[in-house]
Amino acid sequence: MKLDTTGLESALPLFGANCQMVDGFTAAPAFDLPTTLDFDGFQKEAIQMVKPAKGTTTLAFIFKEGVMVAADSRASMGGYISSQSVKKIIEINPYMLGTMAGGAADCQFWHRNLGIKVCRLHELANKRRISVTGASKLLANILYSYRGMGLSVGTMIAGWDETGPGLYYVDSEGGRLKGPRFSVGSGSPYAYGVLDSGYRYDMSIEEAAELARRAIYHATFRDGASGGVASVYHVGPNGWKKLSGDDVGELHYKYYPVTPSTVEQEMVEVSGA
Amino acid sequence: MSIFEYNGSALVAMVGKNCFAIASDRRLGVQLQTIATDFQRISKVHDRLFIGLSGLATDAQTLHQRLMFRHKLYQLREERDMKPETFASLVSALLYEKRFGPYFCQPVIAGLSDDDKPFICTTDSIGAKELAKDFVVAGTAGDSLYGACEAMFKPDMEPEELFETLSQALLASVDRDCLSGWGGHIYIVTPTEVKECTLKGRMD
Repeated sequence: MKLDTTGLESALPLFGANCQMVDGFTAAPAFDLPTTLDFDGFQKEAIQMVKPAKGTTTLAFIFKEGVMVAADSRASMGGYISSQSVKKIIEINPYMLGTMAGGAADCQFWHRNLGIKVCRLHELANKRRISVTGASKLLANILYSYRGMGLSVGTMIAGWDETGPGLYYVDSEGGRLKGPRFSVGSGSPYAYGVLDSGYRYDMSIEEAAELARRAIYHATFRDGASGGVASVYHVGPNGWKKLSGDDVGELHYKYYPVTPSTVEQEMVEVSGA
Repeated sequence: MSIFEYNGSALVAMVGKNCFAIASDRRLGVQLQTIATDFQRISKVHDRLFIGLSGLATDAQTLHQRLMFRHKLYQLREERDMKPETFASLVSALLYEKRFGPYFCQPVIAGLSDDDKPFICTTDSIGAKELAKDFVVAGTAGDSLYGACEAMFKPDMEPEELFETLSQALLASVDRDCLSGWGGHIYIVTPTEVKECTLKGRMD
């Protein structure tokens, strides 16, 4: 299928075939297009095949001491739990974190791509680290160019740069929002409830970690597609540090211990199994 | 997600030596959102017969009410309790009555019949009976339950060992299902007594 590219051709000078000024900027970055007759149907089928799992709970918020980032670790395919130990907080570089919500492959690839191709190259070319604003803007622009092709990415970019802590929400529709508090995923309404009611700007690191952990725990309790392990990371002036990874099943009994009731039957050890 | 997965459920019944055990999860949800964590899915028909209903909760409740009504009438007329085999046939008939507009439930029937022989069976949503000698499963976690029970089942288990086996099978299976879990409920029935226990499980 031949695409009409007359609108995309740049205004190149007709003479001077060796125009070095615009070298490298004419070709827009793109994947190979499929050789198929039904281009629209092919894309729709491709999207359906890689049906992404949106079941997750991730959150991040800015406070006095930096940025707190937390996520659960469950991957679900419809009703089936495919894994309880997925790493949803991706380490882009030592001072920037990205969260995963939506398609796992999409998030992993584009975060990696951001860290290596964009951020590292920027550091090498400009001899200074890229800002969180810049990194998130570049990611948002990349995702916008793939709009409508079935990518599913709902991520938060959290980091610490020269201007202090930074937090941006970026999604595969091309949206990019700057804000102090975000939660993404099917469990986000429950996490917002706990997060919004307990949030204060001047919390200590321990208080903020406990708030994040509690918010994730409450989301895993109510949302069927969230669960596993609640990981909490902190991004400070010296980079990110993983604070805790608590199994949510145990957190429940820590927050709501079982009150001992009258024992009617005691279990006895069964010999030989 | 299909209509059977709207509320989420997990049910299993297992046969032991002159006893049986029937267990369920405790979650009631609306698709992914959990509404209740103490939902009763298993009910007593009479002292030696229990029925668990998985699937759409509203149909499970209606079917349960109709079955209780029919059983009470039977008790008044016959002046005795229904045998499990008869009750299973009643369930099957009631479900097939609605062949072209079915109840979206899958019942699990477990009871002690004559000579205290344990009887378990399940039917699909339009009444096809499946009698089994070892265990029957139902619900969204059904596939996982089949695997777990197959691996853990041994014939002629005593009540204590049966309780342990069934609880472990149930908890392991619901931990692989988003839509069921949040604890467990188990009844162990012997000719002399009925024991009801609540299981402590993962609440995610």
